[in-house]
Amino acid sequence: MTKTLLSIIFIFILTHISPTITKAVDPDEFLQDPKLELRARKISKNIRCLVCQNQSIDESSAALAKDLRILIRNKIKGGYTNDEIYIFLTDRYGDFILLKPSFKFSTSALWSLPFIFLIFGIFVIFQHNKKSNKIIK
Amino acid sequence: MKKKLSIFPSILFFLILLSFFYLLISDRNPSKLPSTFIDKPVPIFKAKTLIDNKTFISTEEFGQETTLVNFFATWCKPCVEELVFLKKLASKNELKIIGVNYKDNSNKTVKWLKELGNPYSKILIDSNALIGIDWGVYGIPETFIVNSKGIIKYRLIGPITEKNYDEFYVKIKESEK
Repeated sequence: MTKTLLSIIFIFILTHISPTITKAVDPDEFLQDPKLELRARKISKNIRCLVCQNQSIDESSAALAKDLRILIRNKIKGGYTNDEIYIFLTDRYGDFILLKPSFKFSTSALWSLPFIFLIFGIFVIFQHNKKSNKIIK
Repeated sequence: MKKKLSIFPSILFFLILLSFFYLLISDRNPSKLPSTFIDKPVPIFKAKTLIDNKTFISTEEFGQETTLVNFFATWCKPCVEELVFLKKLASKNELKIIGVNYKDNSNKTVKWLKELGNPYSKILIDSNALIGIDWGVYGIPETFIVNSKGIIKYRLIGPITEKNYDEFYVKIKESEK
C-alpha cells in the first residue's frame, strides 16, 4: 500500500512539478515590467524550439531557444505587437515554428480534418447502431 | 448499398494507415526544415566584418555573382570537415563565399582560419545570432546558394561532405538557370 502511494507521489512529482522546475528561462532574461514579461512568456509558449521540436522555446534550454526568447523580449520592448512578432518569426522559419498554427488555406486540412473524422465517426457509429437495432428487432 | 457502407470505413482506415506508413518509410527527414526563403531575395541586414572590421551592407553585396553564404563556427566540428570542400569551391573562382561566424570568439576564428585556410571573401560577425535568425538558421553549418540576381535558390542543412559535394555543385550551377 505504502509502495503504491509512494509511486503515485513520485509520478505526480515527475509529471507536475519537475517541468516547472526545469523551466529554461533565465532570470536575466526577464523583463522588468510584469505585463510585458507575461506577454513574452505567452508568445514563447506558442513558439516551437526548432532544435528540440517537441518543446516550446519557453521550456527548451537549447541555445537557439534562448536567442529567440531574447529576440521576442527585445521586440516587445521595441513596441512590436504580438501579431507582428509572430509574422516576423513565421516569415523566417515558416508556420512550423508555431505550436498552434493560425487558420489559413495551407493549414485548413490540419484544422478541419479532426472535425471531419469526428463527424464521420459519429455517422459510422450511428449506422452501426441502426443496423444492430434492426437485427435485435 | 448497406454492404458498401460497411466496407467504406475499413478502406478509409487502411488508406490513412498506408499514408502514415508511407511518411515513416519515405526519405522525409523531420529535422531538415524547408527554408521559407527559397526563390526569395536575401534578407536585408548590416554586419561588422571580421579581420578588416568594416560595415557589410547586404544590399550592396548580393546580386552581382553567385554567392554562397555559409554559417560556421570554430566550436562546430562538422564545420572543420566542411572547410576542405569550401576551399575546393573557392579555388574554382566561379563564386564568392561569405562566411557568417555564428556565436563565436573572433580572435579564435582568425587563428582557426590561419591554421586551416580561409575560403571566405568576407566574414561577418554574428555574435548574438541575429543574422542567423534573419536567415532562418536553426543549427550550423548551413549554406545558402544565392544566385547573381540576389535570389536564394538552395539551402543545405548540415555540412558539405564528400558524399554530397557533387550534388551541391550541381545545385550551384542550377541556381543560375
